Formats: sequence, structure tokens, C-alpha cells
Amino acid sequence: MNGAGKKVALYALLLLALLWTVVPLLWMVLSSFKRPDDLVSQTPKPFFAPTFENYVGLFTGGNALGAYITNSILAAGISTLMAVTLGCFAGYGLARSHFRGKDHVSFWIISTRMAPIAAVILPLYAVFRTLDLLNTTTGLVVAYLTFNLPFAIWIMNAFFADLPPALEEAAMVDGATKFGAFWRIALPLTTPGIVTTAILCLVFSWNDYAFAQSFSGPGSQTLPIAASQLITQTGINWGQLMAIGTVVVLPMIAVGLAVRRYLVKGLTLGAVTGE
Amino acid sequence: MLLPALLLLAALSLFPFFYIIWMSFNEVSLIGGVNFEWVGLENWTDLVTDPDVRSSWIVSGIYFIATVGLEMFLGIAIALILHETIWGKNLALSILLMPMFVAPVIVGLLGRFLVDSTYGLYAWFLDRTGLITWEILGSKGSALTAVVLMDVWEWTPLIILIVLAGLSSMPPPVLEAAKVDGANYFQRLRHIVAPLISGVVIVALLIRSMDAIRYYDIIAITTNGGPADATKVIPIRLYETAFRFQELGYAAAIGLSMLAFSILVANLFMRILKQQGLAR
Repeated sequence: MNGAGKKVALYALLLLALLWTVVPLLWMVLSSFKRPDDLVSQTPKPFFAPTFENYVGLFTGGNALGAYITNSILAAGISTLMAVTLGCFAGYGLARSHFRGKDHVSFWIISTRMAPIAAVILPLYAVFRTLDLLNTTTGLVVAYLTFNLPFAIWIMNAFFADLPPALEEAAMVDGATKFGAFWRIALPLTTPGIVTTAILCLVFSWNDYAFAQSFSGPGSQTLPIAASQLITQTGINWGQLMAIGTVVVLPMIAVGLAVRRYLVKGLTLGAVTGE
Repeated sequence: MLLPALLLLAALSLFPFFYIIWMSFNEVSLIGGVNFEWVGLENWTDLVTDPDVRSSWIVSGIYFIATVGLEMFLGIAIALILHETIWGKNLALSILLMPMFVAPVIVGLLGRFLVDSTYGLYAWFLDRTGLITWEILGSKGSALTAVVLMDVWEWTPLIILIVLAGLSSMPPPVLEAAKVDGANYFQRLRHIVAPLISGVVIVALLIRSMDAIRYYDIIAITTNGGPADATKVIPIRLYETAFRFQELGYAAAIGLSMLAFSILVANLFMRILKQQGLAR
């Protein structure tokens, strides 16, 4: 194949991959602005008179979306905040200390992060039932901490380990305390790491369905539950479902892409570093 | 500094871990609080002999090989293409990464919408071209294929991202030298690129493998194991055993067998990190 032909083939394949990726998302957003009769038309309609009625329907009425959004923000936000705060301290401690059995501690942390959700739900369900944590936002925060905390510790450890200890040592020679060196030197230098960790924790918990479905009740249900509740015995309100989908998905894509440079490191648990 | 977080993590992980082990040796009922009745190894012997659980492991195996296999293949291929691209590379990558951030349950619901026989864009297309004229999620083979492809849609981007990072970190002079020496693209791919990125590819494979058994949202919201158990992967079986049939002790035994798998993969992951000098 000659140079030009190769290039054309290359871009054609790339275009195919882009279409496969983007068509469902575009179709979701488009459909969220469709009237019911535009949704069921014989041939799919890319052009139609847009309406906000699906969104209006979601935010008004007996089961308004507002409460679900609040629950989502609370559960995901609090667990993220706790995980990142504790993760910074513990990650730093882990990166800067050498002790016997450190490998075992690391292994324990990573296997906690990777434990299958279905297997975690079982004991938590029984414990939550005993402690009256079912149907509460607190319960969800605890559930999300089971994966966010080990994740935050592990990733912050990776980000701190990349920082040469010499900087903190220099500060300590100048009279800074150990904590001062961490607080004023190490922590500000890992800001991108902290932001990335926070965003990934937020995405993981915001997107959770399995835990919320098992542990939440009318007082604590999150957005993914609101979406699943649109599937009823009598039928599915696809227009509203696509509207919820848009509400759930767009903010996460926005924050996720905002830290694209550090995503590789975050998502490979520090094993691979990006550009 | 390490202590507060580790204590909390211990409460969050070790306690449930021992609790689920304890559950697996009991018959657990949820009527009036949580009650335990010691049954010894009964749940475990059931686990080995239960044909339903065995068939779920087989479905899980097929699902695992199909999703992870396709994701690795497509992810590596697209990363290689993207690596050769000059014009629009950044924008293309940003777009390609988007599915990763979509809540799995929304992926499932969106998938259901697309293959719905009355509403679906993809169902319409497949029907028009005569490829699939039946209810996609209603038939065994096409339902399994559909849930596999939904997972592939969501997670191939992760592989693209990781492999592309590996490709970008290759030293350009090595490739230039091979080019000058007259090696063609596939020769370079096999003898130079492959060895250089193999570590990164293994990391991608392990990360994906751990998550593949972790999540079950897509199947839960689309087919929930059906039709006729065609998509009943092991986590769906566990959930049903625990919360529909109220056999929590038995479900605990199933859960522990899943945990064994992810611990095995985590172990391999740690080894890779060490080998590459990445463990800290």
C-alpha cells in the first residue's frame, strides 16, 4: 500500500471507531428532546421539532428528580471528600515509610479495591440491617468508601512516590516539621494527583447502581436508581429515560476529560504514567 | 498518618470479609433481624455440585473471554491507529474516551433503547439490512452478544488510553533506526513495538480483568440473566440467590469463590508492578 492509500485507510478506520463511540451518546441526547411520536416513528428521525417536555416532566410531579440529584451529590460527594482526605495522609505515609510487611499492606489495599461488588454487598447488607443503615445516605457513603478509600490511598501513594523526597528533606533542614513538610511542600506539589483522585472517586460513586439498588430506599435513592425506576410493568418512558441519562452522563464526561492527562495513572492504579 | 485510614479500611474490608466467611458456614435468614444457623460445609458442598452455579461460571467464562478479548483487540488496534494519526489526534482521543465515564447502568439502558424492536436505532438498522429481524434481547445468542458489545463499548476506551500511553513512551530513535533499516510496519510492530509495550498491555489486561468480574450493572438492567439463563453471569446468580431466594449463606459461598478469582488477579498485578520496578 502506498503512503496516501495507507493514510486514507487509517482515517477511515478511525472514523468507524469514532462513529461506534459517539452515535449512542448523540442519539441519547437527541432522543431526550423528542416528543413521544418522534421517538416511535417508522424510520429513525435525526431531525425533529425539539421539546423540553421530557426534562420538565422529570423535574416536576410527584417523583421529581431534584431529591435524587441531592442524594447523588451527597453520597458521592461526602464519600469522595472522606476518601481523598484520608487517602492523602495514608498515601503519603505509605510512600515515605519502609516497614516490614509493607507489601502485604499494599496487597490488602488493592484487593479491597478489586473485591467483586456482589460479594461486598452481602455482608454489608446484613451489617447495615443490624445497624439500621439501610435506606440512609450514611449507608451509601460507607458502601462507597469500601472502594473509594483503598483507591484513594493507592493512587495518592503512587503520586507521592513520584515526588523526590529531597524537597521535603530540604524543608526539614530549614526547620519545618515532618507534618509541615507534607502540608506545605508535598501536598501542593501533588495537586493534579489530588484532583484526579477526587474526580475518579466521584465518577465511580456517582455512577454506582449495584450498591444503591441494594442499600437505598425512598430517602436516599440516587440518580441511577431514578433511571431504573422509569422501567415499569406498563412500559418504559424512553424520552424521560434519555433525559435522565443525559443528566447523569454529561457532567461526568466533562470532569473526566478535564483530567485526561492524569487518567492513565489513575485508572491503572499508578502502574502506567501518561505523557 | 497511615493509621487512621488503615483502621477505617480494616473496618470496611476485614470485618465484612470475616463476616462473609462466617455467613458461608451458616444458613442466614433475614426474618426479624439477621439470624444465623450453623450448617457447617453444606453451602460449600452445594457450591461444588450445583449445576446452576456451574452453568453460571461457564456463562461468566464466555462473557469474560468475549468482553476482555474484544476490548484488548480493539483497544490495541485503535491505539495503534491513533498513534499514527497526526491530524485531530487529541480531539479523537477525547471523543473515544467518553464511554468510560458513562454510568454502566445508563450504558445498559441506552443499549436497551438502541436494540428495542419498536424504538431502537440499531434494531431498525439490523432489521432493514435483514441481519437480525427478531427481538434482540429476547433470544439467547443475540442477547449475550448485545450485553457483550455494551461492555465493549464502555471499556475499550480504557485499553486505548493505557496502550496509547505505552506507545507514546517508546523512544522514537529506535523506531527511526528500524525504518531506516528497511523494516516494514508489521515487522516493526512485531519485533520492536510489541516487546516495548508488552508490560503496559499486561497491566491493561489485568486491570480490565479485575473490573470485568466486579461490575454486573449492564446485565442487571438489560436482561437480568435471561433469556433462559443465557446471560446469567455469576454475580447475577449470587444476587438472585441472596435476595430473591433468600439463601444468603449459600450466596456468601458463591461470593467467596468470586473473591478468590479477583485476589488471584490482584496477585498477578502486584507481581507485574514489582517486575517493572513500579511497586512502592
